[in-house]
Amino acid sequence: MSEESKVIKNAVCTFCGCVCDDIELTVDPAGKHITKANNACVLGKAWFLEHKVEDYPVALIDGKEASLKDAVEAAAQIFVSAKFPAIYGLSDTTCEAQKEAVAIADYVNGNIDTTTSVCHGPTGMAFQGVGESTASLGEIKNRADFVMYWGGNPAEAHPRHFERYAVTAKGANTPNGKDDRHVAMVDIRPTPSSLIADTFLQIKPGSDFELLWAMRALVKDAALDDSVEERTGISKAVLEELVERMKNCQFGVIFFGMGLTMTRGRHFNAGALLELATDLNQYTHFVALPTRGHGNVTGADNVVSWQTGFPFGVNFNRGYPRFNPGEYTTSDILGRGEADALCVIASDPASNFSAKAIEHIKKIPVITLDPKPTVTSSLAKVAFTTATYGINVPGTVYRMDNVALSLRPAFDSPFPSDQMVLKAIKERVCELRGLNQTTKTTAA
Amino acid sequence: MKLVLHTQPEVPLEAEVISPDFLNGKTADEVAALTLFHGNNEVPLSEFFDVSGEIENAHIEVEGDLTKVKLLGHKMSDGSLTIKGSVGAHLGAEMTGGEILVEGNAGDWIGREMSGGRIIIKGDAGHLVGSAVRGSATGMLGGEIIIQGNARNEVGNGMRRGLIAIGGDSGDFTGVNMKAGTIFVLGKLGQRPGAGMIRGSIISTQSAELLPTFTYNTTFQPSFLRNYMIYFRKLGLDIRKEYIDGEYQRWSGDSLELNKGEILLYAD
Ligand code: SF4
Repeated sequence: MSEESKVIKNAVCTFCGCVCDDIELTVDPAGKHITKANNACVLGKAWFLEHKVEDYPVALIDGKEASLKDAVEAAAQIFVSAKFPAIYGLSDTTCEAQKEAVAIADYVNGNIDTTTSVCHGPTGMAFQGVGESTASLGEIKNRADFVMYWGGNPAEAHPRHFERYAVTAKGANTPNGKDDRHVAMVDIRPTPSSLIADTFLQIKPGSDFELLWAMRALVKDAALDDSVEERTGISKAVLEELVERMKNCQFGVIFFGMGLTMTRGRHFNAGALLELATDLNQYTHFVALPTRGHGNVTGADNVVSWQTGFPFGVNFNRGYPRFNPGEYTTSDILGRGEADALCVIASDPASNFSAKAIEHIKKIPVITLDPKPTVTSSLAKVAFTTATYGINVPGTVYRMDNVALSLRPAFDSPFPSDQMVLKAIKERVCELRGLNQTTKTTAA
Repeated sequence: MKLVLHTQPEVPLEAEVISPDFLNGKTADEVAALTLFHGNNEVPLSEFFDVSGEIENAHIEVEGDLTKVKLLGHKMSDGSLTIKGSVGAHLGAEMTGGEILVEGNAGDWIGREMSGGRIIIKGDAGHLVGSAVRGSATGMLGGEIIIQGNARNEVGNGMRRGLIAIGGDSGDFTGVNMKAGTIFVLGKLGQRPGAGMIRGSIISTQSAELLPTFTYNTTFQPSFLRNYMIYFRKLGLDIRKEYIDGEYQRWSGDSLELNKGEILLYAD
């Protein structure tokens, strides 16, 4: 170990879906923690600076310390003896690990789902239903002169979204940053984000769909009843002015968050917004993008889609992939008491699912992979401690606009990566089931 | 022939073979040997059901708490299936003929993509009655679904033809994206009925809050409703006299589409 601090340029922060790839990390000479994280926002700084390699056991079986090999064996046994094993989580790990998880689901004829099902799952359903008009954040930075945020609070949830991509960012056709843009916000209450808006629409809770439908009617010149003001709290005149502005911009974008997708109407809300963006293309260039939360939740969608044909909520019970949100999404499966084994990677359903679902988690064998103990891992039959992606583990992650980025880890961890553990489980599962694997490599 | 559930499945049981089309001409022993999917496990039907009697007039009776049993009456084209108990998802999916009677409640997706026949549910139904599957634009293509109790969201999503009648309330987005066909809700419609509808009729005997893309046309006495209402009475729905003879408001929409759909609301 050298006596000098190590500096890593252009490191990637995976704390939120912005996935900033311009962070400069300084690692202390002992190579055990990060002392500086230049360019990162408060959330990113906390993510890097508070990361320490703790002295947890690498694996626990029934709460007792176990070797990695024994834990892999126990996990594989759970998988092969289950009739409806469910795999869940995956938004805070690398694409390489996600790929192994899909392979396991396929080999054991199980169910695979990601945290997308509890955040932007409705958006995925809307993409399938009505399509999407999209762009990369780079294009938006360079071109967008109308930016709208709907049902989200980026100032607090994605702190660098404004400066790096969409509001104050200076681009080729937006050299003056915010002065070259009109920023609109739609939310049910003022937030720190709405302070920067040129237009802020405070709408009545639960009226997003009506408002989007009314805006579509104005864009399409269709009949619109005056009841819209009473229902949404926004007058027709205000809407007309806004829609005129949207029609007349050069390049417009709407970012939307969980305030839209997780409130009553869900996938129809997301679909209505995507259709509004599509309708506006009659007049100008317009795109819409979900603002994704977890660092690599977008990667999870991409990997699961690439391998199964569907983004989340996929079931292999019959040997081929079937997609049906509501039927194969984890919160629903557990709520109805359907799965008989659960493997959770980098997520904590036992702390945020419904009481019924948590009741069921307590009844079935659970496997967890996480860098730190969680409520779910405390209930687990087999709990692995894994290294943290981005800080200790290299690999690929996807930014919220589906751009793939390579991680630049800062220092090594004594723990195995999610990918190593999942791969070892996969290989053992194949041995137990007598399946031939196409790519056989040494297990961790 | 009678099938009685003797063991509760631990995980969902996919039983698309329990349909008159598959069972016709088979003996009780042959039926008992048919394969079901218990999660990812293939099991003989006898592991969960006792089978007795012979099939007469293509009639099958299934008894027990079938809430974890999916796909009963899948693709059936003829005959009748009586279910004594509550039943799980995808009942009568893709059916083309025959009749299913459920004496309890039903799960989600009943009669999805059906094109003929009739389903009667004496209790409540789940989400997506007579709807399209995700990723498809077209739901039910024909036939009838009668729910005596309540139904949840997205009744008749994308339906193109056929009739759905709900004795109680329906959930949100009733008749969303419907292309044609008829939906009756004798109780209250949930939020946003008829969103994106192209043609077709949604009728309710209660007042409802409609989307701003629906416009009021007139109040009248639709003579065709009478025939429907009398028909529903025969099928066991409780129809008050004033709903048969009363006046209804007519609203047209969805203006974002062709504006050729109608929502009729009883005007008292
Ligand atoms: S905006 Fe997100 S990705 Fe960027 S530094 Fe902050 S937390 Fe990390």
